[in-house]
Amino acid sequence: MSYGSTIKVPLGPQHPALKEPGNFLFEVDGETVVDVKPRIGYNHRGVEKAFELRTYIQNIYLAERICGICSDAHTTCYTQAIEELLGVEAPPRARYIRVIIAELERIQSHALWVGIAAHEIGFDTLFMYVWRDRETVLDLFEMISGNRIHYAMNTIGGVRRDIHAAMVPKIKKGLDFLEKRLKYYLDVVQTEQTILKRAAGVGVLKPKDAVDLCALGPTLRASGINNDVRADDPYAAYDEVPFNVITHDGCDVSSRMLVRCEEMLESIKAIGYALDHMPEGVIRVRVPMKVPKGEVVSRVEAPRGELIHYAKSNGTTKPERYKVRSPTLGNIPALCKMLLGGYVADIPIVLAGIDPCFSCMDRMAFVDVKKNKGWNWTMQQLRRKYAKK
Amino acid sequence: MSLFKWARTKSPWIIHFNTGGCNGCDIELVAALTPRFDLERFGILLEGSPRHSDMLAVTGPVTLQVKDRLVRIYEQMPEPKHVIAIGTCAISGAPFQECYNVHGGIDTVLLVDAYVPGCPPKPEAIIDGIAKLIQKIKEGEGHGKRK
Amino acid sequence: MEKENEIVKKLKNFLKENLVRTTVPKERRIFVYIKKDALKDAVKYLVKDLEFKHLSTITGVDLGGKIEVIYHMAYKGSIVLSIRLTVSEKNPSVPTITDLIPGAVLYEREVHDLFGVNFEGHPDLSPLVLPEGWPQGVYPLRKEHKLEHLREMTSKK
Repeated sequence: MSYGSTIKVPLGPQHPALKEPGNFLFEVDGETVVDVKPRIGYNHRGVEKAFELRTYIQNIYLAERICGICSDAHTTCYTQAIEELLGVEAPPRARYIRVIIAELERIQSHALWVGIAAHEIGFDTLFMYVWRDRETVLDLFEMISGNRIHYAMNTIGGVRRDIHAAMVPKIKKGLDFLEKRLKYYLDVVQTEQTILKRAAGVGVLKPKDAVDLCALGPTLRASGINNDVRADDPYAAYDEVPFNVITHDGCDVSSRMLVRCEEMLESIKAIGYALDHMPEGVIRVRVPMKVPKGEVVSRVEAPRGELIHYAKSNGTTKPERYKVRSPTLGNIPALCKMLLGGYVADIPIVLAGIDPCFSCMDRMAFVDVKKNKGWNWTMQQLRRKYAKK
Repeated sequence: MSLFKWARTKSPWIIHFNTGGCNGCDIELVAALTPRFDLERFGILLEGSPRHSDMLAVTGPVTLQVKDRLVRIYEQMPEPKHVIAIGTCAISGAPFQECYNVHGGIDTVLLVDAYVPGCPPKPEAIIDGIAKLIQKIKEGEGHGKRK
Repeated sequence: MEKENEIVKKLKNFLKENLVRTTVPKERRIFVYIKKDALKDAVKYLVKDLEFKHLSTITGVDLGGKIEVIYHMAYKGSIVLSIRLTVSEKNPSVPTITDLIPGAVLYEREVHDLFGVNFEGHPDLSPLVLPEGWPQGVYPLRKEHKLEHLREMTSKK
């Protein structure tokens, strides 16, 4: 048994998988997955080194682009880290705005995921519906920040743009619409046979494995573990804005779907509360360019799970060391465990179940250990082969 | 206009490939398929196989790991073929220009016919870029050949 | 800060002189500096006795001549204890903790790729993030490698 380690398999001198490396190498015996080896790196750009070459303000925009779907989570984590090094605190109004943007991003990310998961199952109608409704969130982002993706709301010392009183009724109208639609999708996920057959009992991750393999986010919470950085290690205004941590005991892909759908509904409530209770005041404080020596660990609950940054400063305008660990990396050992012993046909939905960044997960290499042959498939080819007519 | 050119410009089939970007451009490209923007009403289909595609839509700065695969996908496409670089990363690599595992914009590896700037470009901008490329093809421009 | 101080006290009693330094900069954050040989005992104690079951990540830092390896562990998701040790740059070797925390497997591979730290006993230290054909022995996050230098090396291949 191995989590991402090598098993020696007797194959001929030409190992087919070596010519075209995929993000995952699956060793299969007929239709069953016997081993999984992750080999990520297509998205490895060398960002951590680039952080050391740029000033703290420039790095906000680099941190934002580590991921397009949870860009605000990265900037929140980053600005919090640098604020702690500087010994400043973002003003109360800014902390509430950070909560609002983070929760809107959670809704956007989970809705995107529900659509992609539906697409993996072959349920394209649901994909189109959800993505059409997701546009409401993107419209709100455009109204508040000027952009649909990469909203650049955070800066060191607070936020860059205010949520004015005139925007509040529009945001609330958008949220009301979303709440109705999300309740409908929650119902679909729980009752639609197409989904239940493909997602229930698939990709099982027992609670002990989830803890041993250090799983994160909805993947962890769908195995019944009550861990959420917003509740356990509160940041921004999460110590003042009430919300529930959603857990389910199913330990399978359908539980992960339920956790995400219910989290979206919780986010709507949290945003409503934050809008009603937003304190008056400034939205940012001025900060110096040079950051005194120090080190800090900053954590945020991104839509995919715990995001952790470690920052070390050396008294200059550029960081000494900046480390980023995105949640998807943290879920890969758990993912390998879920796939082992499962069917090849279930690979797309189990992979999708941890909500990975899709560019990382597109291409897979297969090796059949008994028949001694290897081949490569993209997700689309895999889906097509096993799509239920 | 010849029959082939008419058929090609009426319904281009696009293959999408991400060369290591943050996914922002990819999700705006996928959003272009959804009901509000509806790319398919232009006859544009997002295809999975390079062997059946007319256009290659590339996002992301080219990482070293992905460079060979990008070229291989391009080579598998039948002639004539065109390349659209979507997003600022695909155009110049920014903001990853100083990253050791990044090669640069797409045009350091392939001949690009259309550039759609933005970070990420809105779905309307992507559709506009594709429409402008279709126009270029109709007028007989556009590289369509291997670098 | 009560819980944090209690944890520090228990660690001091357990590790004795192997615990070099501790700081508690704010609530829910503890930094502990230990001697390399005490790593496995410390991690075992943290996981089994103090319930720090979650490993968030492992960070490598180039201190110039030495490499620091920091393990960020969490208590019930809330208190983060960063336990660190240093190894020499010439022969950076640390015992693996994958037998105590299976989830550490990819974090150790990443630090190996980027800093060259060898985790003794790790089941498979093959490259995780660096591309095929990356020059052997070049650990990009070490300070000795400037960007231009790395670009030159990779464009030659």
